[in-house]
Amino acid sequence: MLFPTLDFGLFFLPVLLLVWTVGLASNEWRKIILLLASWVFYGFWDWRFVALLIASAAINWGCAQAIQRRLDDGRSAQPWLGIGVAANLAILGFFKYFGFFLEQLAPILARAGWGRDLPVLEIILPVGISFFTFQGMSYLIDIARRQTAPASFLDITLLMSFFPHLVAGPIVRASHLVPQFKAVPRLTRGMVATALMLICWGLFKKTVVASELATGLVDKTFFDPSAQTGLDLALGAYGYAVQIYCDFSAYSDMAVGLAALLGYRFPRNFDQPYRATSLQDFWRRWHISLSSWLRDYLYISLGGNRGGVWFICRNLMITMLLGGFWHGAKWTFLIWGALHGGVLAIERLWREWRPEGFPALPKPIAILIIFHIVVAGWIFFRADTLEGALAYFSQLWAFRPGLTLASPLLCGLIAFGLAIHFTPPTLLPALGRRVAAWPAPVLGLAVGLAILLTDAMRFEGVAAFIYYQF
Amino acid sequence: MADQFDSPVDVEADDQGLSGLAQMAVAVGIAVFMLAMLNAHALGAWADGLEPDARTARISAVAHGLADQAATHGLDGPRAALKQQWDRVKAARWPDQASGNQDQR
Repeated sequence: MLFPTLDFGLFFLPVLLLVWTVGLASNEWRKIILLLASWVFYGFWDWRFVALLIASAAINWGCAQAIQRRLDDGRSAQPWLGIGVAANLAILGFFKYFGFFLEQLAPILARAGWGRDLPVLEIILPVGISFFTFQGMSYLIDIARRQTAPASFLDITLLMSFFPHLVAGPIVRASHLVPQFKAVPRLTRGMVATALMLICWGLFKKTVVASELATGLVDKTFFDPSAQTGLDLALGAYGYAVQIYCDFSAYSDMAVGLAALLGYRFPRNFDQPYRATSLQDFWRRWHISLSSWLRDYLYISLGGNRGGVWFICRNLMITMLLGGFWHGAKWTFLIWGALHGGVLAIERLWREWRPEGFPALPKPIAILIIFHIVVAGWIFFRADTLEGALAYFSQLWAFRPGLTLASPLLCGLIAFGLAIHFTPPTLLPALGRRVAAWPAPVLGLAVGLAILLTDAMRFEGVAAFIYYQF
Repeated sequence: MADQFDSPVDVEADDQGLSGLAQMAVAVGIAVFMLAMLNAHALGAWADGLEPDARTARISAVAHGLADQAATHGLDGPRAALKQQWDRVKAARWPDQASGNQDQR
């Protein structure tokens, strides 16, 4: 069930009604309604994986209790933390990486004459598994670090199943959401106005900008780069940069908006990433919940900044390589991670060894350079295979003249997708304050009109969000 | 730079007038009613996608009935006009651009 569909609308409205009627009388019932709704939402993909979700929550709940007991007894939390993290990694590893490792192992074993004995397993990847397993791990680590207290079974199951963020984040941590589960939430006018704006804005970005660019330009350029002109390929790469931003940030916007209508506050996940002046700055603006997760639970665990510059570079590289691998078991994701890790390391070395008095790059030039590094990374990220990515670069370099794919509308959408990065950062709260003052009927008419406009412009059908596959 | 746990919905606004909950109930109710009237065909298209059985046949009949009523009163006009304009924008090509890309939709 995808957010920008009528199926989802018809699912969400009764849930909203129940939550704000039955749920007002009892907070426990409110959470039970949300939990059941989340399972129905997840069950739309595959009912079998609801059991996996429940099992995963049960494991994390049990390990959290055990960790807390050991901490209360003054003993080390490490054994149960290790078991809990290993269990989460085992779930993630089996569903996401087993096939990849088998694929890599097959030629080696075949050469040794054992290839025929390899099992052939068609493993279906449960939607959102990377998100809920990361959530489980951060919960256990936070308890071991005494940064949060163990939650009840209902709260932890709801945290991991809560449908607005279940399949593609943001990765909401227990320390942030569980305290919100403990009381009946209160809606403010500012929250309602901003939530409705985010939902409409997300709908537009996904169904108009991202879908139009994907179908009209990006899918075609990446399908067969050798058949395209240089300008189409360049615009295809820029188009993908805009598509992935408008797709993923749309999901996050809608997730934040839907959760807010239910009374819960999710953190922001994007902050105009293509206006970043360094790659470090980019990662403070792109998929913030993942980058802060990697920083807090991986980079810091590796030693973080506590060491010499080469040690820091090593940690950056490992973190980004694993970040790439988190996206999927493909060489293209590893190279994408390596590119980001490498550039982050170079930035770090430059900060360390930059000659005194050496002038800093003008901001627009820095933005342009970082944007193009990010776009180069996106080519690896989007290509189906490593050969495909290399073919894209080689055809781009050959730069065959002409323009066949990119229509004025598609060029306009690319320009629009980039231009929105340079609006004032305070635009959303300022608009939210203004819209909150509108009378409710005016707000309702504006929302209806915005959805109607988007529906008239949207592509037929809706492709799954890019991050659903992760 | 914003804090990693800042929420975009943390907007301080004047809470005069209806409460947030009432504001949401009225706004969502009006938006749903407006879309049911001006975009009723979407409901019909959705009903067509349901697995056919006696129950969904009834749902489909109601959805199509609503869409027909809306069309009779010309309520589907604004959306159709908007879509026509948008299709024109989509069909536009650069002066020297080949028109071999017409299969976009």
